[in-house]
Amino acid sequence: MNNTLLSLTIAILFGIGTFLILRRDIVRLIIGLGVLSHAVNLLIVSTGVFDGTKVPIITDDGGHGAAEVTGTIFTDSLSQGILAPVVEAGHQVQYVDPLVQALVLTAIVISLATTAFILILAYRIYEEYGTTDIRELRRLWG
Amino acid sequence: MDSFTAITLAVFLPFILAGILPAVEKLLKDKIGWYASAVAFLSLLLVAQAAPEIIHGGTIQKSIEWIPSLGINFSFYVDGLSVMFGFIVSGIGVIIMSYSNGYMSKKEDLPRYYQQLLFFMGSMLGMVFSANTIQLFIFWELTSITSFMLIGYWRNRPMSVYGATKSLLITATGGLFMLAGFLVLHAITGTFDIPTIMHSESIKEILHGHDLFLAALILIFIGAASKSAQGPFYIWLPNAMEAPTPVSAFLHSATMVKAGIYLIARIHPIFSGTEAWFILVSGIGIFTMLLAGFLAFRQTDIKGILAYSTISQLAYLMTMYGYTTHHEPGIGVAAATFHLLNHATFKACLFLVAGIVAHETATRDITKMGGLRKEMPITFIVAVIGALSMAGIPPLNGFLSKEMFYESSVEMGHLLGGPWSILIPALAVLGGVFTFAYSIKLIDGIFLGKRPSKGLPDHIHDPSMIMLAPAIFLAGLIILFGLVPSIPVHYFVGPTVSGILLEETHLHVKLWHGITTPLIMTIVTFALGILTYTQYSKIADWQDRFNARFPWISVNYYYDATVENAKNITSKFSNRMQPGPVKNYVVALLLLFIAMFAIPVILLASSLVPHNLNFDVPLYESIIFLFMIVSALGAALLPRYIPAIISLSGLGYLVALLFIYLQAPDLALTQVLVETLSTIIFLLAIVKIPQKFREHVPSTTLVRDLLISVTIAAIIFIMLINATPGIVPPFESLSHYFVEKSLSLAGGHNIVNVIIVDFRGYDTLGEISVLCLAAFGVYNLINSRGDDE
Repeated sequence: MNNTLLSLTIAILFGIGTFLILRRDIVRLIIGLGVLSHAVNLLIVSTGVFDGTKVPIITDDGGHGAAEVTGTIFTDSLSQGILAPVVEAGHQVQYVDPLVQALVLTAIVISLATTAFILILAYRIYEEYGTTDIRELRRLWG
Repeated sequence: MDSFTAITLAVFLPFILAGILPAVEKLLKDKIGWYASAVAFLSLLLVAQAAPEIIHGGTIQKSIEWIPSLGINFSFYVDGLSVMFGFIVSGIGVIIMSYSNGYMSKKEDLPRYYQQLLFFMGSMLGMVFSANTIQLFIFWELTSITSFMLIGYWRNRPMSVYGATKSLLITATGGLFMLAGFLVLHAITGTFDIPTIMHSESIKEILHGHDLFLAALILIFIGAASKSAQGPFYIWLPNAMEAPTPVSAFLHSATMVKAGIYLIARIHPIFSGTEAWFILVSGIGIFTMLLAGFLAFRQTDIKGILAYSTISQLAYLMTMYGYTTHHEPGIGVAAATFHLLNHATFKACLFLVAGIVAHETATRDITKMGGLRKEMPITFIVAVIGALSMAGIPPLNGFLSKEMFYESSVEMGHLLGGPWSILIPALAVLGGVFTFAYSIKLIDGIFLGKRPSKGLPDHIHDPSMIMLAPAIFLAGLIILFGLVPSIPVHYFVGPTVSGILLEETHLHVKLWHGITTPLIMTIVTFALGILTYTQYSKIADWQDRFNARFPWISVNYYYDATVENAKNITSKFSNRMQPGPVKNYVVALLLLFIAMFAIPVILLASSLVPHNLNFDVPLYESIIFLFMIVSALGAALLPRYIPAIISLSGLGYLVALLFIYLQAPDLALTQVLVETLSTIIFLLAIVKIPQKFREHVPSTTLVRDLLISVTIAAIIFIMLINATPGIVPPFESLSHYFVEKSLSLAGGHNIVNVIIVDFRGYDTLGEISVLCLAAFGVYNLINSRGDDE
C-alpha cells in the first residue's frame, strides 16, 4: 500500500503546521501544533513495516500471524546509501503493523493533554496581560 | 518487637508522622511542637528497644533485597556506634523540639518548621543505621537537603539564603565525592556492604595493598570533611548560624555536623592502621582545631563563637580518630567517642543558652552585653556548667574526655618517636588553650562584668520553664557524666569502641587518677588559657592587621569569587543563547532540521528517484485527502478563531475516517473521542479570548516563513515516498514478536490493545501520568488567579 497521494497530503499538512507555528498569535500557534500532530500521527501509521492489509486483530478462523510471503528489506550498508533497497526478507505478515498503531494511540491521548494544558495557559496569559501576541508579551515581561 | 523492626520504625515513623503533621496542626494549632516532640520521643524509645542487645556486645544486621542485580540492598547494621548516634539524634531531637515550643513565635510557619525537623531526624537516623554505602549516601544527602531548608527557614533574609546556599553547595558536593569514593571502594572490594568489608581480614588486606586505596580514602574523606566543616570546608558552618537557634543546636552542633565524624568512625576499621589515615585525618584535624579555635576566640557574635567552637571540637574528634599505627589501629578511639558524647551535651546546652540570651536581650552581640548574672541567675548557672565543661574543668565531663585526648596525644607522639613525641602533645595543648580562652570569654562577655548602660532591654529575666528545662536537663547530664563516668562509658562508649575496634574492650574512666602527664598538661592549658584571654586586644589587633594585609588568605574570598563568577558567566551565556523572541528559536530549530536533512539528500540524490510511486487509490480516499488539505488551510487562513477551530476539528474527524481506511479501527475510535474533547476545550477557552490581535506580517517575513514551510513539506514528502510500507528495516522489527506472541502470551486477539495494556504497559502508565500532570497543571493554572483580583 505505497500511497503517493497520502504521502503528499501528509507533507502538505506538515507545511501548513510549520507555517502556523511561526505565527505571533498564540492561538494560531496552538492550532498549528494540532495540525502538526495529525500529520505526525498519519506519518507514523503510514510507515508500518508490514505489507499486510488486514486489521491487526487475530480472528479465530486461522491466521496465526506469520505467513510465507516475500518482502523487501533495507541494507544497513552505508556505501550503498542509507535508503538503498532491497534484499529479500524471510517472512511477511498478513496484517498491517500493530506497533505503530499502538505508538500513535498513546500519542493521540498525550496530544490531548498537552493541547488542553497550553490552551488554558494561553487563556490565563490573555487574562493576565490582555493579549495573545507573543512579541507583545515579551515586551511586557521586559 | 525485634530490634530490626524497631530500628526500621525509628527511621521511617518520623517521615510518616511528619507527613501527616499539617493535618494534626489543624487540631493542635500552636501546640504542634509537642506533637513533634512526641514523635522524637517515640523514635528514642524505639532505639532504646534495640539497645540492650548491643550493650551486651551483640550486633544486628538484616537486609531486604532492593536492587539485587547491583548488589544494593536495603540494609540496617546496628552496633554500638550506630546506637550511640541513634540516642544522640533522637534524644537531642526531643530536647530541641520541646525547647522550640518556647523559642518559636506563634506567628511563625510552625508546620513547615517541625516537619523539616522531623524529616531531618528521620534522615539522620537512617544514615547512622545504614549498612549499605549507597543507602548511606541517600540518607546523607537527605540530611544535607533538610539542613539547607532549615538554614533558609527565614526565606526573606538575604543572609539566610546565602548561608543555606553555601551549606548545600559545599556539603552536597562533598557528598558526591563520597559517592565516588564508595564506588571506588566497590570496585576494589566488590561489595557495597560496610560490615562485610569490616569483618573480612582478607578483603581488608586486598584493599590496603590496592593501588586505588588512597583514592578511595581521599574521596570518602572529602565527603566527611565537607559535612563536618573540616579543613577548607569549614566556611559553611558559621553562615549556617542564620538558622533559628534550636536548629543550630540540633543540626549544626549536636548531630548533622557529626555525620562526617560518624563516617570516619564507621570506616575506621576499614582504613585505619595506615600512614595515609593518620596523615589525612589527624593532619586536617589538628590544622582545623587550631585555626577554628583561634577564630572562635575572635568572634563577638555568641552563635559565631559557638559555630567556630563546634568546628574546632569536631576537629578534636577527627584528630583522635586519626591517631593510628600499624599495631595499634585505634589509639584515640575511646577518647574520641567519649568526647563526642560529651560535646553533644555541653554544646547543645550552650546553644540553648545562646538562644535564651538572644531571645531575652534581642541581640547576639557579646560586646553589647554584660552583667546579666543577676537578672538571669538560672541561665547563668547552666551556662557556666556548659562552658566550664567545654573548657575542660573538673569535675565536669569535658574534663574527663580532654584528659583522654591529651593521654592519646602523648601516646601517639610516643609511638611515632623523635620530635613528634613533643610536637603532637604541644599542638593538642595549644588547641586546649584556645578552647579555654573562648569558653571564658563567653561567660565573661555575657554574664560577668558590668551591665552596659544602654542597648539592652530594661527588664531581662530568666525565660519560662519550657525553654529552661531542656538546658537544665543537659547541664544535669554534664555533671552526672563527670561525677559518674561509668554510666556513659558502660552504656554508650564501651559498646561503640567495641563496634569500631571489633573486639571486646573494657574501659575504665575515673575522675582522679593521680598526678599524670595529662593532668600536668591540663594545668598548663589553664595557665596559658588565662594568659591568652587577658591578651585579647593585642591578639585582635594583630589579626586585624594580618587580615587587612592578606585578604586573599581566606577560603571565603575564593568561595564568593567562584559563586559570583559562575553567576555572571551563566547569565551572560544564557542571555547570549536566548536573546528572544521565541519565534527565532523555532526558526533556528527548523533550519537545523532542514540542514540535517540536506546532507543525505545531496549525498543520495541519485537513489532518491521515486521508483515506486503509486497513484492508484480509490476515489473516496482521494476525496478525503482533498478535504483534509482544505480544512487544514481553513484552520490556517480563516481570519476568525471559531471558524478556524471548527475547521481544525473537521481535519481531526477526517483523520479518524482515514484511520479506518488505514486498517486502524482503534485509532479511529480514539481519534473521534479525543477530537470531540479537544474541540470542546478549544471552544471553552477561546470564547473568553476575543480576537483583538491581527497579525500584519511584513512581506519578507512571510516569504521566509513560506520558504521554510515549503521546504519542510518537501523534505517530508521525499522521506515518505522512500520509506513507505513494504520496506523492512535492517534489523528484525519488534512487530513480528507482538504479532506472534499476542495470543499465546497475553491471550488477546486485538494486537494493538495487547501491546498497549500488556507488552508496553509501563508506557501506558507513563501516558496516564502525563494526563494526570496536565490535569493538575490545568487545575492550578485556573486557580492561580485571584491573588490580585
